[in-house]
Amino acid sequence: MAYYGTNGYGDDAMDTESSGPKVTVREVESGRCDFVLQNCPLALANSLRRVMLAEIPTIAIDLVEVESNSSVLPDEFLAHRLGLIPLNSMNVASGLQYTRECGNCDDHCEQCSVTLRLHVKCSSPENLLVFAKDLIMVDGRTDDIGKPVIRDSAGNGPLLAKLRNGQELKLSCIAKKGIAKEHAKWAPSAAIGFEYDPNNKLRHVDYWYEVDAKDEWPVNQKNAEWESEETAADFTFNPDAQPSAFFFDLEATGVLEPDEIVHQGVDVLQKKLAEIINGLTRSDEGMNGGMSPDGYEPAPAEDDYAYGRGGTTPYGATAYGQNGYGGY
Amino acid sequence: MSNSAERDTEMANGEAEEDSADEQELLLGGLEKLVILPGQTSHAASFQIEQEDHTLGNSLRYFINKNPDVEFCGYTIPHPSETKMHIRIQTWEDTPTTAFDALRKGLEDMIEACDVVTEKFTDARDGFEASKQ
Repeated sequence: MAYYGTNGYGDDAMDTESSGPKVTVREVESGRCDFVLQNCPLALANSLRRVMLAEIPTIAIDLVEVESNSSVLPDEFLAHRLGLIPLNSMNVASGLQYTRECGNCDDHCEQCSVTLRLHVKCSSPENLLVFAKDLIMVDGRTDDIGKPVIRDSAGNGPLLAKLRNGQELKLSCIAKKGIAKEHAKWAPSAAIGFEYDPNNKLRHVDYWYEVDAKDEWPVNQKNAEWESEETAADFTFNPDAQPSAFFFDLEATGVLEPDEIVHQGVDVLQKKLAEIINGLTRSDEGMNGGMSPDGYEPAPAEDDYAYGRGGTTPYGATAYGQNGYGGY
Repeated sequence: MSNSAERDTEMANGEAEEDSADEQELLLGGLEKLVILPGQTSHAASFQIEQEDHTLGNSLRYFINKNPDVEFCGYTIPHPSETKMHIRIQTWEDTPTTAFDALRKGLEDMIEACDVVTEKFTDARDGFEASKQ
């Protein structure tokens, strides 16, 4: 029997199947993973999508010290390009500290950063192409964290700049751990396709059409066939039906394997929950957590937290910057 | 550890080692992860959760609403440029479940659901790889 992708009246995604959520991996290739999540509430599927897009920690170049730059590109232009270079982030979640939380150092150290150096000079009459492969890791970590991801057949990696005869680039980069919520350069996934109810049986969308919506609107055939041949037109409308099959098409940037992104996504979500349970337990135990003395604003910290907030990002000490968003 | 900077300072002052609660506090820059908003009763309370958004809010709301003892649960992000999420829980007064219990149960249920998703995903991935060979 075809799986319809929706649950009927009064049924809710979590109740219908005693077996609970179900996952089917449909397609995997380098940097891509296509899977279907079934018997799962829309809310949870969407949380997973959001977390995989923006909250998985990875490593990216964050600080660039330019010693010499006689290329045609301004320093900040280069710094931006360097930031966007994908660096291997396998095991970053557990193997690397956030610099702002690292207690081992005042500024940064090998436990919370990776240093990469670039020194190239063009001495030939032809232009010299500078690639990500020219970045040399300085302090040798035993793992590969922070190594530029190179996946092209020539083994070059992304092109950084072009140098003319006599031009030189000499700089050192400090790569740090972060999440895409602060800056998109830390994103582990380039795009996540997310769809439910491809045949629009639930009428969650109201298509505009000239004559016939079925003919005029593109349908993802693969997803549509997964559910059933039935389209909105043949399907008896049930206003209480709930979506329960979610089609994910995860496209990674290369810093993490796609399956690792899914696992870490769930991990990050669970850590968020655990953190709140922790807060709840503290308020249960009558510690100063929970209810604040004035009954509204959180109690001001007794200790001077100034050092914890030294603003270094454009966000300063606000939301995503220094206060440990994503720091557990 | 993440809070060694503070630990060093404290050690220098000859104070005892702090517990994990203080550790958490440092990560939030001195803010509480969870604050109970005024006006709470045994079966109704509003919580303010620091540095969370729709990612957690919507799912958590869903899982809390699954609890038959819960009369109402809703969440809001009162201001877009403050990273605070408010969640309101009311439980039926004829049940022993308090708003606190309902929140805890919601959190635990969601962790459990996450575990199942990971498990099923791992199985499906291994199955897919096996089928390719």
